[in-house]
Amino acid sequence: MQVVDLDELKRNGVLWQGRRSALAADRLLASGWPVLDEVLGGGWPRAALVELLSEAHQGLPLLLPLLARLGGELRWLVWVAPPYVPYAPALAARGIRVERLLLVRDVSPGQCLWAAEQALKSGACGAVLAWPGELQTAQLRRLQLAAEQGDCPGILFRSPRSAQQGSPAALRLRVRPAPLGLEVEVLKRRGAWGGASCVVPLT
Amino acid sequence: MLWLALYFPQLPLEVFARGRQQAGALAIVESLGGREQISRCNAAAQAYGVRPGLALPAALALCAGLVVQRRDRVREQGALDELALWAYQFSARISFEPSLLLLEVGASLRLFGGLPALLTPVQRELGQLGYSVRYALAPTPMAAALLARERSACQVVTPDALREAVAALPLASLTRDADTRGLIRHIGLASIGDVLTLPRPELARRVGPQLSRLMDRLLGLAVDPRPEWQPPQYFAQTIELLGEIGQTTALVFPARRLMVALCGFLRGRGGGAQRLQWTLRHRDHPDTRFGQGLLDPSRDPDHMLEVFRERIDRLQLPAAVVAIGLRVDDWLAFEERSLALFGNPPGPDQALLERLSNRLGGQCVRGLRCLADHRPELAWQLCEPSEFGDAPAASMQQGASQPPWLLPQPRPLAERQGAPEYGGALRLESLPERIEAGWWDGFDIARDYFVAHSSAGERLWVFRDRRSGGWYLHGLFM
Repeated sequence: MQVVDLDELKRNGVLWQGRRSALAADRLLASGWPVLDEVLGGGWPRAALVELLSEAHQGLPLLLPLLARLGGELRWLVWVAPPYVPYAPALAARGIRVERLLLVRDVSPGQCLWAAEQALKSGACGAVLAWPGELQTAQLRRLQLAAEQGDCPGILFRSPRSAQQGSPAALRLRVRPAPLGLEVEVLKRRGAWGGASCVVPLT
Repeated sequence: MLWLALYFPQLPLEVFARGRQQAGALAIVESLGGREQISRCNAAAQAYGVRPGLALPAALALCAGLVVQRRDRVREQGALDELALWAYQFSARISFEPSLLLLEVGASLRLFGGLPALLTPVQRELGQLGYSVRYALAPTPMAAALLARERSACQVVTPDALREAVAALPLASLTRDADTRGLIRHIGLASIGDVLTLPRPELARRVGPQLSRLMDRLLGLAVDPRPEWQPPQYFAQTIELLGEIGQTTALVFPARRLMVALCGFLRGRGGGAQRLQWTLRHRDHPDTRFGQGLLDPSRDPDHMLEVFRERIDRLQLPAAVVAIGLRVDDWLAFEERSLALFGNPPGPDQALLERLSNRLGGQCVRGLRCLADHRPELAWQLCEPSEFGDAPAASMQQGASQPPWLLPQPRPLAERQGAPEYGGALRLESLPERIEAGWWDGFDIARDYFVAHSSAGERLWVFRDRRSGGWYLHGLFM
């Protein structure tokens, strides 16, 4: 018979209790946006997959404060198949150490997945951002496992159409442009109800 | 002085078989008295009843699939040369006998911290290289060679122990020279011990000068000068694959053998390799050549192999491979300081970078840096991913009002009555940022950049070319 520690399950967010604050603080990474942390229950999940669903790869600004903070560690910030050129002077002005960036570009969808998985599980990355295109649920599960293994947040930028598809990601957000910034709606959050939303102001 | 003799009893077979993890039945033939007969065969052949001394037709009758190779002494000497390259890490004085390598290890014993610390890596790595070995240790090269052939694993250090160790060996084993062997048959002495009991004047009278000279060399009473092997300046070795390999994964096994040899060569020179050049030979097709890059100089075969696996994963073989070769021209010598890094695998950050670059190609895995230029196209650059240093982040205040995404090329925007449109009219925030630069290098720009809001709520970075008056989209804030 296997003995399972309930507290351990709760702490890791595996056990869903139907009320707030399921993930322990050390499993979360503050986003740097107070309104966002409020709806995320404290911040981004630390060793898990996050999906940002939007019409045109939107959502990068939500992550910039986190990337700036993670750049202080000697770890890679990996961007797999970004849709545009990450503009170095603007990133540097927002406190991101661009020399920590590792860009994987001009790759096929298969290579994109492979690279994201390798980066996630390497233990050498502070965060892995990927723009993967279409994904199967099994592929998502592989990435989720890799994120757990490498203790690394994996952020996937996907189309809103994938909202129909089941996902093992710990967090799923719908992102839309709003007059004052980006509107964020929680579609799924491990250990909590979905439905919360906020507008993150971009100035 | 102390000599380590490494004798390779299966060398004639192994020069053909070592490229394969599992070689089929293999036999070596030699002509003896005009008759082709088996001189060596491997275990797979022995299982069919093939044995040394058998005539070739009889062997083929026993085992129809027997692969037969004529003994190739040139290739065997080549293998010894390659072994010397590897063995140079253990001794700077190396010489040869047929199927045998002699290393002077008296000086290196102290360096290695005793005999077991020296012999353990020797035996382990010879196994990895694909050679079976018998060894012996003795104060003279001749005694070491003799003992390795006749009494494997014998370790003799003092002259007295040496006399005792060689006494029981047949006298004929002293030499391969036919005349001296004939002489030995006629003097009525069977073993080396018989000779040792004779007083020296009597010995000289009975056996003549040749044999007493051999005895003196054996016991270290006369010098035994031998030509010393000179190490080449670069590493180049090839393994024949005994048949053809059609799948890249089967190349891993012989590749590792080459890497173990390379790393021995590098350790002998206190160096590391950063660029490995591979050549795959095909029967009827030009060679396939490819490079394998390492981010840091290395001499760790396991690390090299991991990178090699990634590299060959994206390799398309145009034809089956019959031989694999490795060449390293530019090994790097290192300071004592960095030697501590060797033997340790690289940190996870380097390992990830290497895995990605070797699988995807270096042009797909890039770093990013800021350049001091006001023109957005020239204010950044893709570069080699940097090593993790403590370089302070460049202060780039110019980017504070600029977007995190840049389009690879400015995209012309439609206009209506001189105002830009992007899925509807754009609303411009009031104050433009003027960028005017580049008259000195031919990429001359004069632009007014605006933050613009689309009707869908997107924040965009657009500019008006002050020369043509046209509007362009150049970046995205979301």
